[in-house]
Amino acid sequence: MKSAWNIGKREFISFFVTPSGYVVLGLIALLTGTAFVLSFLTYVQISQSPFQFGYTTVPDFEETFLSPYFVFCGIMIMFLSPLITMRLISEEYHKGTMELLLTYPLRDRDIIFGKFGSALAVLLLAVGLIAINVFLLLPFTDMEWSVFLFGLCSVFLMGMAILSLGLFISSLITYPITAGLVSFGVYLLLFIVGNVAEKMPQKTSLPNTFPGFLRGSVENIYWLFRSLLLELPLDNHAKNMALGIFEPKDIVYYLLCTAFFVFLTFRALESRNWRK
Amino acid sequence: MIEVRKLTKYYGSFRALKEVSFSIKEGERVGLLGPNGAGKSTMMRILTGFMPASYGTATIGKYEIHEYPLEVKRLIGYLPERVSLYDEMTVKSFLKFVAKVKGLSSTQCKIAVDEVVQTCGLEEVYSRVVGVLSKGFRQRLGLAQALIGSPPVIILDEPTVGLDPQQVVEIRDLIKNLGERHTVLLSTHILSEVSLLCSRALIMNAGEIVSEITIDPTKPTVEIEQAFLKAIAREGVGIEK
Repeated sequence: MKSAWNIGKREFISFFVTPSGYVVLGLIALLTGTAFVLSFLTYVQISQSPFQFGYTTVPDFEETFLSPYFVFCGIMIMFLSPLITMRLISEEYHKGTMELLLTYPLRDRDIIFGKFGSALAVLLLAVGLIAINVFLLLPFTDMEWSVFLFGLCSVFLMGMAILSLGLFISSLITYPITAGLVSFGVYLLLFIVGNVAEKMPQKTSLPNTFPGFLRGSVENIYWLFRSLLLELPLDNHAKNMALGIFEPKDIVYYLLCTAFFVFLTFRALESRNWRK
Repeated sequence: MIEVRKLTKYYGSFRALKEVSFSIKEGERVGLLGPNGAGKSTMMRILTGFMPASYGTATIGKYEIHEYPLEVKRLIGYLPERVSLYDEMTVKSFLKFVAKVKGLSSTQCKIAVDEVVQTCGLEEVYSRVVGVLSKGFRQRLGLAQALIGSPPVIILDEPTVGLDPQQVVEIRDLIKNLGERHTVLLSTHILSEVSLLCSRALIMNAGEIVSEITIDPTKPTVEIEQAFLKAIAREGVGIEK
């Protein structure tokens, strides 16, 4: 793992030698900071006159402000993460440095874990920036720590799964810009799918004129399809966690997702040895 | 030191190497000569573990390259044809990084870096960013990364291509001064380079080794030229589809 550490360290440093690291973290700071201020001001307005906004009492701080803010931060990271992942492996192919890396005494796992580790380190910095925003409120509120910690945890876990998908896409495409655009497209698609699925009716039924077995089958298939669409998007599982609710399936979802895409990255890198 | 047996490589239906066999003794300097597209770079990429062969075996030291890729890579220093480096790093940090991924300890790392910087004449650009180096210095740096850790086998793919005459002389001197500590396999299509640097030349054409010449430094280059032209002009040697 020493080699993976060296690869990761080089990658992390080079991210901040070039402007890309500052641009990504700057954008995350700007967007999450602006969203924080605007949401907080809105919450203040709501809590001053809740009736105007359709509430009977002052709404819960965590539920109304904090957890939606964390979910928003996760979505921001999702759409900005191609800027982190697009360069991970595809840039090595594009610049030709992969020829050097693959002729050094390194295992594929050193390269993949090193690259992924550096991306996770950038994600940690982003989560740190988000944490600073929320920390500013500590003296003025009696915030539930579970919501705060689970919220940050949901952003990190969601970011980890997103980065693993980006890493996989980067291992398939030799042009960093194309890899970034494809990643962005995939995230957008997942995001739209999640929103569409939420608006789909819970049940569908065929007219009574259809035979019973056909109606039953269609209903079951529809239910399966809708459930799948609801579970698939990467941001959906963060919502519960951001409310401070501990659901093992959400954590397992992100861990499995990450493991799956890292595994696919291994296969993609190994594939150079399959081409006879 | 290097033993190649019936190495064949297909790119789809195109056969880039056809049952190539040769052997190189320890401390020997061998030139791989051939026109463009002869299969020299493919051969070198297979030997360095960058890509697998379709058929055949190759042994470096006592390790077969497909069975023990890590052990083989520890024995090799490789300068690719297109020297791609991390442009955003400084020469110093790049060489340190290479030393570390080659598995050298911190103490060995410092000694190894100092040694290659001196050998390759990189002192004046040691603190500079790689992206601003001239082509000659980039080539030296490429050679330096290959030499780090003093691997017993050095594989150089067209080390002087694209350099100006003075840089060519400098790089050739560097390779000459490698001494007998290393077994060198050098690919080129410049005949004079082989006569200056190597003791033996393998001539490749259309994916095959078509001839082998022992170089006599006292004889003029013209003789190598004639042998080379005769070898590549042989009829019946062609690329199969």
